[in-house]
Amino acid sequence: MIKIAVYGKGGIGKSTTVSNVAAVFASQGLRVMQIGCDPKADSTVLLRHGEKVETVLDLVRTRKENFTLEEMVKEGFAGVCCVEAGGPSPGLGCAGRGIIAALEILEKKGAYEKYRPDVVIYDVLGDVVCGGFSMPMRRGYADKVFVITSGENMAIHAAANIAMAVENFKDRGYAQLGGLILNRRNVKNEDAKVEELAEDIHSKVIGTLSRSALVTDAEEQKKTVIEAYPDSEMAEEYRILAGKIRTLCEI
Amino acid sequence: MKQVSVTLSTYTADVSGVCSALYELGGMVVIHDPSGCNSTYNTHDEPRWYDMDSLVFISGLSQMDAIMGNDDKFINDIVRAAKELKPCFIALVRTPIPLMTGTDFEGIARVIEKQTQIPVFYFPTSGMQSYVSGAGMALETVARELVLPTNANGHFKENGIEIENVSNELSVAYTKKKNQQKLNQSEQKQIENTESKQSNSKIKINILGATPLDFSVNSTLDSIKEFLSKHFEIISTFAMGSSIEDIQKAGEADVNLVISSVGFPAAKVLEERFSTPYVIGTPVKGFAGIIAEKLIDAAWTGKSQAAYFSVTSSGKSISRATNGIYIIGESVISQSLKAAMALKQGIDATVICPLETEPEYIGENVLLFSSEEEIKAAIAEAKTVIADPIYKTICADETNFIALPHEAFSGRIYRKEIPNLMEWVTI
Repeated sequence: MIKIAVYGKGGIGKSTTVSNVAAVFASQGLRVMQIGCDPKADSTVLLRHGEKVETVLDLVRTRKENFTLEEMVKEGFAGVCCVEAGGPSPGLGCAGRGIIAALEILEKKGAYEKYRPDVVIYDVLGDVVCGGFSMPMRRGYADKVFVITSGENMAIHAAANIAMAVENFKDRGYAQLGGLILNRRNVKNEDAKVEELAEDIHSKVIGTLSRSALVTDAEEQKKTVIEAYPDSEMAEEYRILAGKIRTLCEI
Repeated sequence: MKQVSVTLSTYTADVSGVCSALYELGGMVVIHDPSGCNSTYNTHDEPRWYDMDSLVFISGLSQMDAIMGNDDKFINDIVRAAKELKPCFIALVRTPIPLMTGTDFEGIARVIEKQTQIPVFYFPTSGMQSYVSGAGMALETVARELVLPTNANGHFKENGIEIENVSNELSVAYTKKKNQQKLNQSEQKQIENTESKQSNSKIKINILGATPLDFSVNSTLDSIKEFLSKHFEIISTFAMGSSIEDIQKAGEADVNLVISSVGFPAAKVLEERFSTPYVIGTPVKGFAGIIAEKLIDAAWTGKSQAAYFSVTSSGKSISRATNGIYIIGESVISQSLKAAMALKQGIDATVICPLETEPEYIGENVLLFSSEEEIKAAIAEAKTVIADPIYKTICADETNFIALPHEAFSGRIYRKEIPNLMEWVTI
């Protein structure tokens, strides 16, 4: 079982990219579990045609520990196991602590043993702003961290912060940085800026995704590009990216 | 309102349980906390504090440390202290604040271990569970990490698997455990047991689950050991009155005796690692003989068992049942007292256990109640209640109350009145 964490600035396209990569993996016969680590709990909607998954923390809030794994893990496109950590209401509580609690509950309930996924993908919100958001990269969780960025300054800044967190925690046995994924916004000198970032953090750009209207079209249909437009060039880009991740992670 | 206690005390928490279990083993215990946990521990939960040295510290976690995540300060303080004090191991104990901030103890332990070359263990306590949970996980770690593979003719074995290049260093057990291989070794254990008996030597035992929180620091443990040593060779006691060297040899035992719920996890680990069976029961007056019999039986058959089941569950030994007698307290000790009463007087008492315990070792007439409301309702019409004196406050006036002070419940208030359980007669 290989575990991957995907980070990046909010709105950069993490959930869309992760869902498409998960869809590719699943279409290739791998058992995939995608875990959304965001209080918004919408990481897996494209894999489930817009149908939401009841979050781990909502289940705990209403049922304490009296719920089953099946209630927490729902099947999505091509059999992807979909989980949403969930979190507190906006403006209340502690979202980071929520992620820790949700991941601990998943482990305690034996999710990895029961579903035996070949690949687990943690789709983590935004930046590494506190200990909770670093949880998916801690020992025992992700083996590799991938960061999605565009050439926009804020996205690059967030990506640099995430890379720094990975570097700072290397003595603790945290995940290794797998590389950057460029999700193009078509800003000026975009490729060069992201290449420069990769050099600064001693990493590589492992994949590039074009800005495509097909992604938005597929989202409107509440599907991944892989499902909605499997023969498109965009779908091929996701397949190439997934292939690169498989090679890097030896999946 | 079930969790509200109007007059009752609370049991010692898991944080103090870890400290209590590790107190005599030569490690350095660090509670990651501003200070309150340590003062609770040394003031209320640790009778050995002024008479016996031990390295128990708090980290002095400040508000800014918690907000800013100053893990480096925590790490550096521990590394500096460890290099000066050279403990056998370092224990990191979690409290509610680092629980809420999500401190990465596993990662921190790894860094400290790398910098000090001393084994570091992390105990995920929360301050929300009782000492049974904390002391239990501490002794479980001792059993898993500090007990060395057994030495047979110069070869070190664990579950029958020979382990190469083992030196007599404490850290060896720790590093080797990662490569443990599981093997059902019960048959071989039986053969070894048979050979052991044939050589006419005493059956070797460990006593598991001894902390002052259950047994205080009176003469109870000495009496238990004196009794057991007449029939058995005691390798070690987890973890009072035994050196770390004794504990390291615990894998040589033929059978383990679990004298409180605190000892369950360690017994299971030693069974898993060395195929050593265990017997559950506290040698109290009137029941110790049964325990000796069961220890011999388990050593021969290799089967783990609760000694009190032979008395209380079958009902065969109870000639006349008497309702209305309740024992409130820790599961193993209380069920052993119940068994002693059944054996001696034919009385079938009801046990109320407000603490964590192993469900598989709960006998008949044992109620798992933890709230004051439930306990008060259960004993409303009791003829006799045997419990810590604080429970008298929820008994009816006409109830015959027999005080059995429990250090983990009333601390030092009634310490002088805690009886020697090997001499104490209930009713």
